[in-house]
Amino acid sequence: MNAIEIKDLSKSFRGMYAVDHLNMTVPQGAIYGFVGENGSGKSTTMKLICGHLVADSGEIKLFGRDYTDAGVRVRVGALIENAGCFPGSSVYQNLMMQAINLNLKNPDEEIKRVLEIVRMEDSANTKFKSCSLGMKQRIGIAMALLGEPALLILDEPINGLDTDGMRIMREILVDITKNYGCTVLISSHLLGELEKIATHYGIIRQGKMIMEMSAEEMDSRAQVFVSLKTKDMKGAIAVLRTKFTDVREEEEYIRVYDVDDAESIVEHLLKNGHVVSEIKKNKIGLEEYYIELMSANDKEAV
Amino acid sequence: MAKELHFESPSFGERIKGMLGVDFYRLFHTPLFYIFLAIAAVIPAMILGTSGMENPQTGEVAEKLYTNVWHIIAAEKPLYVVSSIAEYANMNMVFIFGGIMVSIFIGHDYKSGYVKQLFTTHAKKQDYMISKSLTSAFAMACMCITYLLGSVAAGLLTGLSMEVNAGSLIIAILSKTIMSLGWASLYTFLNIIFRRYFGISIVSSFFFGTGILIIGVAAILGNSSLLNVFLYGSSVYACLSANVVTLIVCIICSVAWAVIYNLAGTHILNKSDVY
Repeated sequence: MNAIEIKDLSKSFRGMYAVDHLNMTVPQGAIYGFVGENGSGKSTTMKLICGHLVADSGEIKLFGRDYTDAGVRVRVGALIENAGCFPGSSVYQNLMMQAINLNLKNPDEEIKRVLEIVRMEDSANTKFKSCSLGMKQRIGIAMALLGEPALLILDEPINGLDTDGMRIMREILVDITKNYGCTVLISSHLLGELEKIATHYGIIRQGKMIMEMSAEEMDSRAQVFVSLKTKDMKGAIAVLRTKFTDVREEEEYIRVYDVDDAESIVEHLLKNGHVVSEIKKNKIGLEEYYIELMSANDKEAV
Repeated sequence: MAKELHFESPSFGERIKGMLGVDFYRLFHTPLFYIFLAIAAVIPAMILGTSGMENPQTGEVAEKLYTNVWHIIAAEKPLYVVSSIAEYANMNMVFIFGGIMVSIFIGHDYKSGYVKQLFTTHAKKQDYMISKSLTSAFAMACMCITYLLGSVAAGLLTGLSMEVNAGSLIIAILSKTIMSLGWASLYTFLNIIFRRYFGISIVSSFFFGTGILIIGVAAILGNSSLLNVFLYGSSVYACLSANVVTLIVCIICSVAWAVIYNLAGTHILNKSDVY
């Protein structure tokens, strides 16, 4: 069963499509990285799934049920834009309100549990307005985690976090999918971070889904390349181009694409009098893949 | 392997219990409610205490607004056409402060973003309307009680007459308290319409709470009982000559408007973007 299934979903604001006949499938148990530039329609899609916005047309199903089904919606946790807490109330009071809202049987225990997950056991009595940005994001996650949600919708949850905060957030997300069987839909513009946890990706542009794939598919599609440095970069490039088809100078390195055999490159350069000072095998990451995909998309549009 | 998931749809009662629970928790855990309870108690006390006071600069003594304590609770007769402040200023003022309180209460749902949590987990928008209307009605009913206490305390201190038909007084107080439900539903509805504009919500609540529209209509129609179909009309009808009919009229008017505003508010929430 899919956790989210969206068919032909559209939403416009003043005649402009923010989400344009979007199709999307999020498998149950996945960490689905929702990728797209600013204004591409990620947040709008998430708000539509959460029922904050009314769609112009299309269908949203959550776990095979209509998204307006009260039974399924009560199992959705969301962090959209901000935690949505009352600034004058304490962390505990904010969580208690959500626990009451969900009719949880043991609210105190539940609050303790989620605070432990987000590593904020000692901050229960801190006023929300006194919390740092990282803490606020984690409180937002804790709110979303109350009542063992089946689906978590997180819009830019790692925004503004420091390196340690990002690591903690990563560990939390992996932990909840593994231990609680939760499906996570997460958007972020920090693709490097997303790449570390996502099992599936969806790439959206101008409200349209341009590609959906699993992390394995992404891995198999990603180009391999060997990057190296020599004293005479220009001479080495000319030599390499006599044998290899895709040789580029990028970021102070020579990159030889679609070649996995570093030895043959070194041998070829040595034969032609170029000594390699630095060499490593690489694979294109999500960020580079995304940039290439976008530029290919731009060319198609032209 | 994906975990087997079961989804049980909560009943209407369970949903409302959750939503009401949040609203009452918020009401009792924030200073707003207590501040407005105090305001409701202080206002009649101030009016009674300051009326008839001597101006220290001119030495003139102002005419007493009231000769009887209970006139600050309700007028002697249903006076839709108002000719003096004394005919206007009574327990109906609670509905003006109440409107401001409801606007702040609901406005903070939107300002803080907490409303996102509510609408994510509550697919049925009627839950929100019903819960806000009932919580706000409770808050306004409590304000009616503190208004009564403030009036009685000030009346005792100023030594005004307390002569009254006890039955009519009780019915008038009860009827006005019951009107809280209709007023609370109106304010919830207004705050749904102007949910993105906090200031306009407060101003509109204040405007409707003053009953200025009905007072204007009454200036043309005169003291017509037809005005009892409106919230302000019924609130005025609950006066010191009230009887069982007054109580029934107030119950019908309050409940009918509560249903109308709840249906209209739910319709708006279903058809428009909520955040």
